Amino acid sequence: MPATSNNRFVEMHALTALEHMRFTTRHRIEGTYTGRHASRQLGGAGEFVDYRDYTPGADLRRLDWKVLARTGKAYVRLFQDETNLLCTLAIDASGSMQFGADPPGAKKSKLEYVQYLACALAHVINRGQDQVGLAILADELVACIPPGGTASHVTFIQETIEQLTPRPTVHMAGALRQLFEQSRQRGVLLLMSDFLVDDLDDVFATVRLFRHRKSEVVVIHVIDPDEERLPAGAAYRFTGMENEGVVHCSPDEIRDLYAERFSAHAAAVRTLALSNGCDYRRVSTAIPYLQTLGGFLVERSG
Amino acid sequence: MFVNPWAILIGVLAAGLPLAVHFLTRPRPVRMPLSTIKFVHEAVLHRRTRHRLRDAVVLAMRCLAVLLVALAVARPFLGQAGLSTVDDQADLVRVVVLDVSQSLAATSHGIEAFERARSLAAGQLEYRRGMKADLILAGARPASIFKRASSNFQVLRDELSKARVKPEKSAVQEALNLASEIIAREDDSKGLRREVVIVSDFQRSNWAAADFSVLPEGTRIELQSVAPAETPPNLAILRVAAQGRAEVGRDLRLEVEVANYSESPQTVTVEVLLGGASVQLSGLCGPNLKTVLTGELPLHETGWQTGEARLLGVSDALAADNVRACVFDVRPAPRLALVTRESAAKRPSASYFIERAVAPVPGASGDGAGPEAAGEVPSSATGGLLRLDPAKLDREAVGSADLVIVVQPGRLAEDSINQLVGVVRRGRGILYVASDAADAVNLRQIAAATSGILKFPVEFAPPAARQPRRNLFLAEMQKDQPPFQIFGDELPALVETLRFSGGLDSRRLEGALAEDILGQYSDRSVFLASATLNAGGFVVLNADLTASNLPMSPLYVPLLGEIVQKLLGQGRRAGEIPCGEPFALSLPPDAAAAAELTIAGPARGDGSPVDGEAAVGDLADDGAGVMWKGDAAGRPGAYRVMHKNSPIFAVAAAIPAEESDLRTIPAKVFEERLAGGREVHFRSLSGLGADERDTVWSWLAVACVVCLVGELAALKGFKT
Repeated sequence: MPATSNNRFVEMHALTALEHMRFTTRHRIEGTYTGRHASRQLGGAGEFVDYRDYTPGADLRRLDWKVLARTGKAYVRLFQDETNLLCTLAIDASGSMQFGADPPGAKKSKLEYVQYLACALAHVINRGQDQVGLAILADELVACIPPGGTASHVTFIQETIEQLTPRPTVHMAGALRQLFEQSRQRGVLLLMSDFLVDDLDDVFATVRLFRHRKSEVVVIHVIDPDEERLPAGAAYRFTGMENEGVVHCSPDEIRDLYAERFSAHAAAVRTLALSNGCDYRRVSTAIPYLQTLGGFLVERSG
Repeated sequence: MFVNPWAILIGVLAAGLPLAVHFLTRPRPVRMPLSTIKFVHEAVLHRRTRHRLRDAVVLAMRCLAVLLVALAVARPFLGQAGLSTVDDQADLVRVVVLDVSQSLAATSHGIEAFERARSLAAGQLEYRRGMKADLILAGARPASIFKRASSNFQVLRDELSKARVKPEKSAVQEALNLASEIIAREDDSKGLRREVVIVSDFQRSNWAAADFSVLPEGTRIELQSVAPAETPPNLAILRVAAQGRAEVGRDLRLEVEVANYSESPQTVTVEVLLGGASVQLSGLCGPNLKTVLTGELPLHETGWQTGEARLLGVSDALAADNVRACVFDVRPAPRLALVTRESAAKRPSASYFIERAVAPVPGASGDGAGPEAAGEVPSSATGGLLRLDPAKLDREAVGSADLVIVVQPGRLAEDSINQLVGVVRRGRGILYVASDAADAVNLRQIAAATSGILKFPVEFAPPAARQPRRNLFLAEMQKDQPPFQIFGDELPALVETLRFSGGLDSRRLEGALAEDILGQYSDRSVFLASATLNAGGFVVLNADLTASNLPMSPLYVPLLGEIVQKLLGQGRRAGEIPCGEPFALSLPPDAAAAAELTIAGPARGDGSPVDGEAAVGDLADDGAGVMWKGDAAGRPGAYRVMHKNSPIFAVAAAIPAEESDLRTIPAKVFEERLAGGREVHFRSLSGLGADERDTVWSWLAVACVVCLVGELAALKGFKT
């Protein structure tokens, strides 16, 4: 991994502070290579974890003969394999993720924030000898890079992230289903989105498919603080970022109702995520992404 | 029916203001892309119905409030439509007579009666198929808008909207005659219906002698009264005059007649401004009574003085009659000429008594000195009195005298007769003390010298030898006329002791005016008689002063003083003409030619004349001098005839006193006594409960407030 990068979303100097941290998972996973994560395979090459009664057909190589000799009872020794992590970063590239970039340069849009966060995550995951992949979600699966662990693979992923452009879309379930169909391995799916889609239930129905596959799904709900409350002012002409049209209104008249609706939306996303066994994390773009990432990694590491 | 229908139009326009303000003041929206527009849209959809309802309610309340204010200003009268029968489609000719006299300016409940009248008249001039109408504005000189009834209602309504109250009384009968002529011009071969609608306050003073019989048979007469149910209280100045002659250096004794047309006594205060001086007169005026306030005002300048009398602290129904203009001719001290044959030294004598009465300055007159002592009667002066010998009358001396007193002149020569007649023609006065046969002849010759224009009410003759005049006393006097007026209730006691002997018998002439006989003896002969010629006055005192106790009576000096003041004021009396009435005034004989004179109207507060009203009437030379004539006197105020920027004559135009009495005639009188056999329908706003209906505007105002409160409640409710 080079010490510097031309990618504007990769701040190598800042990421050095996170190099000692690893992205971990509390679930047993399936990996391609041996790694530091508990594998779903209980083979014989790993660390001894437990006994279980012998059943006919069990591998006799794992039978604990000494115990059988002493007690007359047949037990099979179980060993935990350790494997590497296959992590897929799924980024929502819908138009709504562009919010926050007006006026340009004033602050990061949600998409830019996610781009920074995803590049940093890819770097951290790669530093942990794990494999990282990328999926760009819009109305359809825009890009899908299978997990890989080489430095060039990570650089490619980061370049892909850098070149990401938002698309006006209001449905994400289809793209997520495509991703599900294309990926065959059990790993970790980091779904980064604002979830401002019309098919929220379908999205989480698809998420459930990942969960059925025993993949771990981490839902990162990106929220811009300016979305939580309407701006002050007598009258606004709001234009949709995904071709939803124009709405004239006086924010004062709907401020409370809007906040109520938005809170309900955020709560719905959280409820859906948690009820589907996902790890939910609400991320505000007002907090620096490195701080967000640090906290996330610490929390994950337990 | 509205008092101010124009307010409706303004209200309709103003009702759009809240809408205009609402849309014009809407904030300019700021464009902003938003990712969560879905939530905004949902919120707006949820709120929009509520907000639109709120806006609609608030705007409706505001517009309604504005309309209600306009309606309140318009002052609706409920139930006024259809006062006149419009029940069929027959052809109809309708003449609307609108009273524009001063009394219509009276206000009741804050509304001028004329505005009510205008509204009622407008209702009668609405277009209707087959109807023709005309409008008569009944002032002092009623005039119709068209010569014949017309269907051009627009013009009639325009003229109606321009109509204004005039400071004059209404010539009721002339208006009825005019209406009759207009109706008579219409051909009734088609069974034309005729209607005369009269909108007025039906003042008792104007309408008591109305005769509706002049209207054609079958004419339906509808009287619409705008007078309130209760006659509104009104105070008025009816007359401003001076007692006697206005002389410089002497206080002018003012008389201001004030009327109290109300049911309670009023303490009135009148301020009279004349020239640079002012005086306040106060007194108590009983209910429905007139009272005369008197006071004295110092005069420092000669010439015509104009001013006004004003009621102070009065707020009554008719404000216009609280002010009255007045003019006075302030003259220098009078010059009196005593024409007598008697010697100044002879005492007692009639001339001596006269001299002492009119010029009570003792001494002078060359008592016992000079030619008088020798029995001659030369011209001599005693105070302001110039004694002249009738045999050698000095033409210049007689011409310059303001008053000539003739006592014991003996038989006058023709030249002397002519000189005396000339005195009267020039507007001066003559007091003739008649006592013997020569006086009877002189008086007859004086009357003859005027070609009969100077008419005495009686013919004087020497008493018959068999019926000497002795122990006569005064039997009849005109107590309310000068010179007896000032004695008031004490007059009987004062004259009771008077006894007369001598004098002339008198025979009443045919056609003589009773008013010219001011006093009579117990034998029906005349004690005091007056006559006028042009502007001059002639008073005959038929008494032998040396043969009666009159000179010794306390009545004598004031009586002579009153007679002298009456004669001195003759022709110079403060003139007053009623507004709107035609007038013809003779200017003083010494006035310049008409071409050199101009007329100045009432001045504004700053003294400048009012445009378009400066000149009223015309000045024309005639044989006897300059006549000032006009078809209609102008608005109230002082009018002056100017010669080289100085007034030589003035007159005050004033509102006729009848207009101040706002009492009305009951409907029954019209329908039973004045109808003249015609079908008369009397409708009154008061009879229909106008006062109650007149409160509609206040209910509208309350509704307006309710709307505003409702608006606030709506805002509060929707905010909650």
